[in-house]
Amino acid sequence: MTGWYPIFLREMLLFKRKLFKLGYLFSAMVVPVIYLITFGLGVGRSMPIEGTDYLTFLIPGLVAMSSMTNSYTWVASALNLNRLYFKTFQVLVQAPINPFAIMIGEVLAGMAKGLFASILIITVGLLVAPLFHLSWLLILTLMLNCFLFACLGVIVGMITKSHEDTSTYNNFLIMPMSFFSGTFFPVSRMPEPLQKLIAIFPLTHTNILIRKSALDSQGLLALAILLAYTIAFFFLGSRLIRKYSE
Amino acid sequence: MISVSGLIKRYGPADNRFTVVDGVSFHIAPGTVFGLLGPNGAGKSTIIRMLTTLSRPDGGRCLIDGIDVVLQPMEIKKRIGVVPQENNLDRELSARENLMIYGMLHRVVHLPERISAALGAVSLWEKRDVVVSHFSGGMQRRLLIARALLTEPTVLFLDEPTIGLDPQIRRQLWDVIRKCRRAGRTVMLTTHYIEEAEALCDMIGIVAAGRMIALDSPENLKKTIGEYVIDYPDEDGNQIQVICRTREEAHEKARALANGITIRRSNLEDVFIKLTGEKIE
Repeated sequence: MTGWYPIFLREMLLFKRKLFKLGYLFSAMVVPVIYLITFGLGVGRSMPIEGTDYLTFLIPGLVAMSSMTNSYTWVASALNLNRLYFKTFQVLVQAPINPFAIMIGEVLAGMAKGLFASILIITVGLLVAPLFHLSWLLILTLMLNCFLFACLGVIVGMITKSHEDTSTYNNFLIMPMSFFSGTFFPVSRMPEPLQKLIAIFPLTHTNILIRKSALDSQGLLALAILLAYTIAFFFLGSRLIRKYSE
Repeated sequence: MISVSGLIKRYGPADNRFTVVDGVSFHIAPGTVFGLLGPNGAGKSTIIRMLTTLSRPDGGRCLIDGIDVVLQPMEIKKRIGVVPQENNLDRELSARENLMIYGMLHRVVHLPERISAALGAVSLWEKRDVVVSHFSGGMQRRLLIARALLTEPTVLFLDEPTIGLDPQIRRQLWDVIRKCRRAGRTVMLTTHYIEEAEALCDMIGIVAAGRMIALDSPENLKKTIGEYVIDYPDEDGNQIQVICRTREEAHEKARALANGITIRRSNLEDVFIKLTGEKIE
């Protein structure tokens, strides 16, 4: 199962080219930084939440959100374009490698891009929020979240029939998760019936886990749910690659 | 060696399926250059996609070197090289990076040396570190061929390899294909260009509406329809062709016609028009 490496390497070479363009760095940071300024430094400056200041509450949420959007978007968008327009995905399918290897290569590349964007937000967070600190649980959750949403990116990238279709999934999946899953305020503040719906979203459990200082029962449940989603998405994505036929 | 029997491909929803490839059969001996000729939408590219594991057939059987394409796709992928109709190079990577990734995917040994040789063979060594998006169309086609040959495949598939290229570049690519034949590779190509098929192919298959309507060597195909053609203008100035079996028959018929007559040897275009009733476009 070494076939994943050239796929990962290819994505990293393409990513490196983009990194040297100033626009990319700016675009990876602009949305979370806008949220940070608006909600963290503006609206919530003097608002304590869950026993801490709002900024310390918000930054892990922004890290989770940023890792989700970057891991997911990069993979979904690239896979869709590579499959339908540039036809470079066909080169991978015609290579003598296992479909799992394609899945692993694409997902690890998406994960790396998600981690990169998250590190930028963490850096900003460490500078502006004195109480915010890195924990092993935050790092573990961040990596798991990147992997999970990169897997979802593969699924969406494989099932969409045009590039425009990907925005539909953004509007119905990513956007609601960004706002309702506990990034900006605790889910407990939402109306009760809505809380049950929000509990379905994987990002809700990422936000629970990423803010924990130790792995309690609630954290364990969140971890188990995230792992279940990850495994399900990974196998579904692999199956879509294996069944690919034009 | 390629052996195809009763190949079928259908597209569309279950209640409205349409057949793109309809029971195509052919056999290509090792070391042969086989050309598929046909108009747009005839099913040529679909046949190539099925043979190169990209598309699953709805019926029939394809064997390459005795290996079933559907049952053992991994083994097939190790044996084939593909030059697709659409450029599927990574445009933001250099020529060398494109070949490096491809070589790693195919586990090519001595990769740096093989990359140098492949780029040299298509005269792109000097441009090895140039990003592909800066390449001309001809250079990109040459790089696609270099990439397909990097793994030293026993069977090479080329889907419209010279489409849109100027005549000089086209002839350079013909030389590469001839080298492949000399090296003992089986080559299967689709083309719109009659002169390309005439210049390169040992065997020709003519496909129309998903069916193989003729399959033979170019010489035999021409003999089948008649080896001589009389061209002459009718009263409205339209060019008319009359196909004749022999030179004598052509001269005989020509005597009865008016001025402006030319007698020439038949070509594959005449075969195509005779068999399909339409010009290749």
